[in-house]
This record gives sequence, structure tokens and C-alpha cells, in this order.
Amino acid sequence: MTAFLAVLTRDLRLALRQSADLALVLGFFVIAASLFPFGVGPSPEILARIAPGVIWVLALLAVMLSLDRLFQQDLADGSLEQLALAPVPLSITILAKVAAHWLTTGLPLIAVAPVIGILLNLPPDGYVTLLVGLALGTPTLSLIGAVGAGLTLGARRAGLLIALLVLPLYIPILIFGVTAVDAVLTGFDARAHFLYLAAILAAAIPLAPLAAAAAVRHGVEG
Amino acid sequence: MHRFANPSRFMRVADALLPWMIALCLPLFAAGLYYGLYQSPADFQQSETVRVMYIHVPTAFLAQAAYVVMALGSASFLIWKHPLGDLIARSAAPVGAVFCFVCLVTGSLWGKPTWGTYWVWDARLTSMLILQFLFFGYLALANAFDDPARGDKPAAILAVVGIVNIPIIKFSVYFFNTLHQQSTLFGDLMGGSGDAAKSVNQPDIAAAAAEQGSALAPEMLLPLMLMFGAFSLFFLILLVLRLRGEWASVRLRALRAGFRPAPEEV
Amino acid sequence: MTALGDNRSSGRRRSPAARRKRTRLFLVLGGLVFLGAAVVLSLFALRENVNYFFGPTEVADGKVPDGAKFRIGGLVEIGSCRILGDGVTREFTVTDGAASVRVTYEGLLPSLFRDGQGVVALGRLDMQNVFIAEEVLAKHDETYMPTEAVEAMKRAGTWQEGEPDGGAKTVTGAGTTDPCKAL
Repeated sequence: MTAFLAVLTRDLRLALRQSADLALVLGFFVIAASLFPFGVGPSPEILARIAPGVIWVLALLAVMLSLDRLFQQDLADGSLEQLALAPVPLSITILAKVAAHWLTTGLPLIAVAPVIGILLNLPPDGYVTLLVGLALGTPTLSLIGAVGAGLTLGARRAGLLIALLVLPLYIPILIFGVTAVDAVLTGFDARAHFLYLAAILAAAIPLAPLAAAAAVRHGVEG
Repeated sequence: MHRFANPSRFMRVADALLPWMIALCLPLFAAGLYYGLYQSPADFQQSETVRVMYIHVPTAFLAQAAYVVMALGSASFLIWKHPLGDLIARSAAPVGAVFCFVCLVTGSLWGKPTWGTYWVWDARLTSMLILQFLFFGYLALANAFDDPARGDKPAAILAVVGIVNIPIIKFSVYFFNTLHQQSTLFGDLMGGSGDAAKSVNQPDIAAAAAEQGSALAPEMLLPLMLMFGAFSLFFLILLVLRLRGEWASVRLRALRAGFRPAPEEV
Repeated sequence: MTALGDNRSSGRRRSPAARRKRTRLFLVLGGLVFLGAAVVLSLFALRENVNYFFGPTEVADGKVPDGAKFRIGGLVEIGSCRILGDGVTREFTVTDGAASVRVTYEGLLPSLFRDGQGVVALGRLDMQNVFIAEEVLAKHDETYMPTEAVEAMKRAGTWQEGEPDGGAKTVTGAGTTDPCKAL
């Protein structure tokens, strides 16, 4: 537990010291969202129709773009090797790093999402569902992303490769996240969608760090 | 079982079996196509389009089987460090990717005349598309490193992680009200757990057919089974051929690196 | 970072091996708790059933909110399909035996569409509770039978009414029959 907190605070401190990275991710989120009114035309109905999907897809891409921060720097300066050699199970270390990653990308994205909702004319009923869905879904995005980031350590064109590996695995989360908002906006209940998102998260918390740890260990050795 | 984990011993057995598999596969294909295209009756609902089934169903099954082979090979590579597991996984991936692609294309062509659409985002079709992406991801990851041997472990981990998709594909038609019909051949595995979709879409005819043992008429079951056998053998043949190539390239790399094989291994 | 090497906080006077075993035990237990939670949550979620479509009974029971866009699934009631005056719009009844809903659709129906066939339509209900469909798809079931066998069953009288194709006539070629009658 102490090790978990130590890694968590270390990663948080590093992320806050380099807050430009965080600003870049949020900037991408907002700017990309503001392209849509130009792309599909400023008609409020069309924007309202696509708003949940756009916000979810962009959140997903923003998380994906920030994944290189998870291990890449630590690999470059050698601290990842130290963490892998530490007596603490590597999966716990990775869980801590994922938690830090979520706190510095997922959480800010959730905070900014309502602003984008306004820009895209999301109907008022949709906000709560959108935010609950994002809160349940973005941790899973970070967890699955850690597996992808671990697998591509040292690979050629790791950025593109990570997209190919991680995006298909993101599809279920995207589906449940978006259909939850759509369901509420058309007057249905979103409970089942939330339950699925929570189930995926609960399964990913023990499994993803395991796979990521195996991948990172190999990446460090190779 | 671990005896055959030695690749050269395994390859000797596989090479010996290969001609027999080819000899069995070709007549099976011929018979399957003959029965499928000429000798089997048209369906009472779909008429002639039902014949797509004889390609679609076996390729769908084999795409998933190829993934399971890939994941099991990868798992044995990760757990027992059997090099053969990695070789099998690497050989199965492109074959599975092609089967999956054929399944998606034939399904799409079948969907247009029967359902009225080429594609619909229901759970079965989406999970099958994810399977296709997983094959692509595996192939990309396995070949993404300058040292080819570096990619084996990450790719193996990905293959094991992706196995969660297989039960999703299998059970998607039972748990969600999909447009895709439920399984004809393996439907009884699920017993009566089908939901509203079942009562809506399976009127008494299914009951009548079920009394005869299967919802598939025997005249149609025969070509389907023939094609199942033919495609399965075809898969195994391709697997062995690709294994030869992979095994040769591993040995080539070892020789280049200055490794002298023991005489009995050559 | 210092806390990483600091093991005194957990497990006093234990050998490193015993401590590692204990951590591993906690890890496995924790993992199992989460996996169990995942199973329980998905079982709850399955009970809710994220519907790809609703049946006519659910529509009649008011399960579908006003003005909502949804899919309706059911069987085409035998002899219910009409081509309306404009020659393009088709109107038919979707039923599940207990309740039924009128559906109108402007456009070409899939060739599998016929009396007694399972269909899934996307659209919304209008003020008169008529379902205005934007898309009609035929839902095929997992039953395959030769045309001749169905003819034979009909002759033998073992073919029950209300089955797909409703005993009108069996198809011999795709798209040759239109179950919809012009008004």
C-alpha cells in the first residue's frame, strides 16, 4: 500500500511539474470538438444528435494520445527498470501509475466535458449520464491503455501501433458510454449501461495491470 | 504432450501428415461444393441465398478457432516458454485474419438479400469486427520490432488478452437482441436461455424442426458438415505450411547469429 | 521512491520470502474480489437487458417513452400488408401474438419480408400510435428447411398455421413475391 501511494504521488508530482502535457491533452480535446460545428454545419439539432458520440470519441482519443506518458519517459531515464526490480509486485506499481494517469487525464477530461457539451448543444438531460459514464469508463481506458503502452515499449512507430491495438478494445466502452446518453435522451433508463461499464472496470482493475506488468517486464529486458 | 513441444520433432510429424490432409481436403471440398451448390435444396424462406451459409458458417467458426489456437499457443509460450507455441500463434494469425475477412464479407453479402442491409452494428457483427482488428493488431505488433524475436512476447500477451472477445462473439446472440439469428448447430448448448427474441422470432416451426433433432434440414446439414471438414483441413494445411516457413526463418536467424545446431536437430 | 524499499510498515520480523508470499496472497484475494464484482455487476446488467429492439407488448405496455426513437421487433401479421394510395408507402401490422402495432414504411422491403416473417423496424410512434419506420430489416431465425419439405409438410397437414410464409405460397425465387396488396 505504501509502495502504491509512493508511486502514485511520484507520478502525480511528475505530471504536475510537466503540466504542459496535461494542457496539450485538454487543448486537443477542446479544439478537436470545436472542429465539428464546422465539419457538419452549425445546425443545433445535428450537433445535439452527435454530441455524446463526439465527446466520447474525443475523450478516447485524448486518453490514447497521452498513453506514451505512462512508461516512455521512465523507460528512457531508467527508472522503469528500477521499478521493475523493486520488491513490490510490478502489477501494483503499474496500477499506481495508471491511477496517476487517470487523475491527470481522465479526471480533467471529465471536468472539461460539460464545456464541450455546451459547445455542441448537448441537451440538458444528458449531462449527468455523460459524466457518470465518463467517470466509469475513462479509468478502464487508462487501464487498457497501460497494456497497449506496455506492449509497444521499444516498438517501431509505437504511437500508431498503440492506436491499432487499443482502439478495438475501447469499442465496448464507447458503445455503452454513448448508448447510455442516447438512452436517457430518448427517455430510457441508463442503468444497464452503467452496470456494464462498472463490470468492465471491475474486471480490468485486476487483469489489465497483470498483462501490462508482463509486457513492461519484457520491454525493460529487451 | 511436452514431447512435441520440440519444434523439429513436431514438424516431422506435421510434415508426414500433410500429404494425407491434402488428399482428404480436396475431395471434401469437391463434395461440399457439389452438394452445397447443386445437390442441396433451396431454403423455404431464403431460397437460393441460403447457400452462402456453406462458406459463411465454417469460416466464422474457423476464424474463432484460429484465434483460440493463437491464444493457446501464446499462453503456452508465455507459461512454459515453448517456442513452438509462439510459432503456432504466428502461423495461425494471418490464416485466421483471412478467414475472419471472408466471414465478414460473405456475411455482408448474405445480409443484404435476407435482412435488407449489408451491415448493422449489432453485438454479433461488432464483436466479429473486433476479432478482425485483434488479428491485425497481433500481426502488426509481432512485426513491429527491429529484432523479430523481440515481438514474440508482446504479441503473445495481446493474443491472450484478446481471448475475452471469443465468448462475447459466441454469446452475443443470446444475451442481446441481435439482428443476427441464434446458432443453428450449437444452439442446444444454451438450452432455453434465449429471451424475448426467441419467442418473437421462433414460431412453432422451430419446435417442429427441433423434433427432428436440429433446426437444420439433413439435406443442408450434409454439405455444411462437408464444408466444415474441408475448411478445417484447409486451415490445418495452411497452418503447417506457414509453420514450416516460420520454423525455417527462426533457424535461419539462429544460424546467422552463429548458433551451431546439434546434428540430430537438423 | 524511498517508501518502495521500506518494508517495515507491513509485516514485522518476517523473512522477505514470507512477506512476498503474503503480498501475493493479498493480491490474489483482491483480484478475486474485483473479478467477483465484475461477474455480479454483469449479471445485474443482463437482467436489465439492453434491448436491440422492443416487442409490440412492451410498446403496448408503455415501456417506450413518448417520441422516443427505437426498434420494434415482431412477426408480420398474416395478410396485413397493404400498399397505400401513393404506391410507395407500405403499411403492415407487427405482432407478437399478444399485442400488435401498425407500421408504415416508405421504401423497398427486404426480399425476406413476407407474412409471418420476423422483422425489426427502426422509427418512432406517431400521435395515433402508428409506428413510422425509417428502416425495415428482416430478422431471420435459425431454421433452415428445403422448400420441398415445407410443401410436403403442408400436404401432410403437419404444417401449423401462423408460421413464416403463412401458407400463402412458398417462394421459388428471391423477390418474386410481394406479400403486400395494393389497395
